[in-house]
Order: sequence, then structure tokens, then C-alpha cells
Amino acid sequence: MLRNLPFAVFFGAVIILPFVAGEYFLSVGLGLLMWIALTQSWSLLSGLTGYISLGHVVFYGLGAYLAALSWGHLPLWAVLALAGAGNFAFATAISLPVLRVRGPYFVILTFGLAELVKFSVMAIESALGEYGRLLFDVPSMATLYWLMLGFAVIATAATQLILSTRLGQGLIAIREDEETAETVGVPVTIYKSLAFGLSAAIPGVVGALMMLRTTYFEPQQVFDPIVSFTIVSIAIIGGSDDSRGPLFGAVFLVLLSELFWAKAPQVYLILQGILLIGFVVFLPEGICGRLFAQRARR
Amino acid sequence: MSSVVLELRGVSRQFGGLRALSSIDLNVSRGETVGIMGANGAGKTTLFSLIAGHVPPSSGDILIDGKSILGLRPYEICRRGVGRTFQTVRPFGGLSVFENVLIAGRFGTKRRAMADASVRATALIEAIGLADRAQAKAETLTLSAQKRLEVIRAVATGAHIILLDEVLAGLTPNEVREMLGVIGKLQKDYDLTLLMIEHVMRALMEVSNRILVLHHGEAIAIGDPAQVRSDARVLECYLGKDE
Repeated sequence: MLRNLPFAVFFGAVIILPFVAGEYFLSVGLGLLMWIALTQSWSLLSGLTGYISLGHVVFYGLGAYLAALSWGHLPLWAVLALAGAGNFAFATAISLPVLRVRGPYFVILTFGLAELVKFSVMAIESALGEYGRLLFDVPSMATLYWLMLGFAVIATAATQLILSTRLGQGLIAIREDEETAETVGVPVTIYKSLAFGLSAAIPGVVGALMMLRTTYFEPQQVFDPIVSFTIVSIAIIGGSDDSRGPLFGAVFLVLLSELFWAKAPQVYLILQGILLIGFVVFLPEGICGRLFAQRARR
Repeated sequence: MSSVVLELRGVSRQFGGLRALSSIDLNVSRGETVGIMGANGAGKTTLFSLIAGHVPPSSGDILIDGKSILGLRPYEICRRGVGRTFQTVRPFGGLSVFENVLIAGRFGTKRRAMADASVRATALIEAIGLADRAQAKAETLTLSAQKRLEVIRAVATGAHIILLDEVLAGLTPNEVREMLGVIGKLQKDYDLTLLMIEHVMRALMEVSNRILVLHHGEAIAIGDPAQVRSDARVLECYLGKDE
């Protein structure tokens, strides 16, 4: 019961929010849900397999790009499906070379990949003579909010439910020892590709939704590495091995950013850096890990 | 006890200029225990890596139940029925003993449902005497317990050919005795064919039906323990030549 309390409190609050809050708080809520969906998807790959991605913004950015290209030609559901499926396909295709490296090399590779895609999109756009794209007749804020909530729930449920599946157990075995995992029959390469694809799909949809929210496409913005860093920060600050961690991490960081971002953006970035170091050194199990470990001890 | 489950035909493996194994022929029958001995660097572990598919042979063929396994990935070879332990233990350290065995059961030779794999895991953990440590993280176990865990993890896959790489090394004489007892029981209960690399000679002589002696990558002797013990080339390798 206590286990699921954070889920109940959190999702209860975000369901009530649209009925009681104004535009400002709704947009804060949207941001919060976005970070939760992104971090949960990230942990599907990085939390389970131990392959730490520092370039998850690439999927967010590609989702946004696909939305910018297809909006106006396709209905909303098709735009979102395209962003999700497109990213799944892209990620599974690049996973074969990308997932051959481990540890710090993988971290650097994912970061580099995101930058490579960013500059490629910039080159394509400028070759096409496009300098930013504007989207018209976008869905209402409320529609986007409910959709984002839906995908945050899906991402959270997926990270939780996958643990008891064969795929989830295989991925955990890969995290522990890849060669041994293969020795006991885990199809390592296929599973890693699948995890990479799954962890890319929801960020694609999230990117598309946020594109429809901001209505202005600019590669520098949607492929901003800060998005990747923030995902990792939320995961570390939230902590814990299960899907409750990102809830705590996202609430904490979003509140902090609301307090500082508008008034002193530099202070916020410095603070985020200090917090990250602080958590890694003093509280590696994160807020959630600490909270529940203490309860368990009592 | 006559059907051949594992067959090596002229298997060689070259690492650059080093010939780690040259032209090994071996037939292993169902239910047999084959001991493998030889000095460090003789090619014993390389032989296991070839059979388990971690390293492809440079030439020759390896057959499991009459079918070649050349070109298969290790997980596919596991599905054909080969389980192995590692010379330096490699448990899934952050997972519990139970989870270690459970995962092997869910994958292994076929995809087993959670309940099925769970029953299997519990029985094996009980059999090897780790029941009271089932929920402990594997990395917190003693070396002897980790070795036992590796043995049952290999068996849990459903493999019928088990490659045991120095599972007795580093154990006290009492632990060796205990381990041999358990392995013998598992072999009977699960109808296993065993290949054992071992430096503990007395134990190896005792449990093996046949012994293969490797020296600089060559099979210098194969036969029952008594034969091997009196083989001139083996004595020469181990004790030196009488001048």
C-alpha cells in the first residue's frame, strides 16, 4: 500500500490540476509530466541495462522535428504515432553499432550522436531554405495536458511492469554481466536493441507534443543538450531502482526551476550542478531510495 | 549410455601466432563425466569457450546432439543445451541468489513461465544447500557459495551438457567433498553430461569416467583415469623426462 502511495498522491494531484488551476500552473504541470515521461523512458534503457544515455534529447528533438514536418498534413493521432514509431525505428536501427560500446564510451557516443543529429537537421533545414517553422491551429493546452498525462502514465507503467517480464529480467541480467547473461540464454543483442527502441518511442511523442505547445521549431532549441542533462539529473536526484524515483526527482527539480528559472536562470543552472554533485556524493540512493530505505528499516 | 551428445572434430583455435588448441577430437556420451587436465595455458578454458560459443574455432567442427553449432551465438548454444560456469566466478552480483537462478530458468534451453522457473530455482537452491541464503545478494556470498551458485545457475538453464571450469579450486577439502557429492546428485537427477576442468587431481580421478589431458594445445592422452595415470607422455609432462 505504502509502495503505491507516491503514485496515488501524484497522479491524483495532476488529474485535479486542470480543474482548479489557471494557465500558468497548467503549463508547470505540463512541464512536470513531460520530465516524468522522459525520465521514465530513459530509465527503461539506462536504469535497466546500465547503458547510461547522455543524448536522450535526440529522440525528443526528432519527435519535435517529425511533428513540425507533418503537422497540417496529418491528424493529431497520426502525428504522434509517426513521432513514436519513427523514433522506435530510428533507435533500433542505430542500436546495433551504438550498443557495441559500454560504459563511458557509450555515454560519450550518445552525447555525440545527439549533437550530430542536431547539426544534420540544421544543415537539412538551411539547405531547404527553412529558418524555423511555425505551426498553426495547434490543439488546446488542455488537450496537450491530458495527452501528456496519458504518456507519463504509460511510461511509468511500462518501467514498472517491465520488471516482472522476461524482457525486464533479461535486461537486468545484461546490466549485471552481459557475457554471463548471454551464457544463460539471454538474447543480448536483440534485447538491447529492443530496450533502446522502447526507450526512444515515448520521448518522440513527448517531443511532438511539446512542439505543438511551443509552435515554433528551431533545431538548437529542441536538440538542446540541457534536456539530456536534466533527464539524468532527475533520475539521480529521484533515485531508487523503481519507477517512483523519477516522480520525486521531477517534482523536486521542476519546483526548483520555477523558483529560480525566471528570476535567475544562471543561479538555477549552478544550483542544478551543485545538487547533482551533492546527490552523487552524499545521497547516491536519491530522495526516493533514502525515504523508503528508512521506512523499511523501522 | 552410448548416444554421443557432444562431438569435437579436429577442432583448432589460433590466437594470432599462438596455437591454443590443435586438432582436438572428442566424443562425449550422454551421462558421462569427462575430466580435463593440463598445465596453465594448455588450452582447457579455450576448449570450453569454443564449446560455449564465446570464441569460434579456427577450423574443425563442434556438434551438439549431432548438429553443428558453428556460427551460433552463445545464447543459441545455451538453447541447444550447453551450460557453463566460469573459472573466475561471475554471478549477477547485485541480484539475489534466487534471481540469479530464476533468470537462467526463464531463458536457458527454452522460455519458461515465471512459475515454472521459480519452482525449478527453489528446488536447485535447496539441492545445493543455499536455501537459507536465497534472498541474499550473490556478491555477499563466500567464494564456495558463489561457485555452488554458478553450478546450479548452469543447471537451471535446462542444459544437459554442463561445463564446469575449476569449480573445486580454492575450496577446502571438506567443501570439495561436499561439492562433488552435490554435483553427482545433480548429474543423476537432471541427467547431465559433465565436462570438468580441474587441478584437484585426486578428485578428478575419482569422479571422471574418462580424462582428457591437454599439453600446449594438443590432446596427449585420453582414456580412463588408470590409463591416463600410467601414460608415458602424461608422466613426462607432469614429472619431467627420466634422463
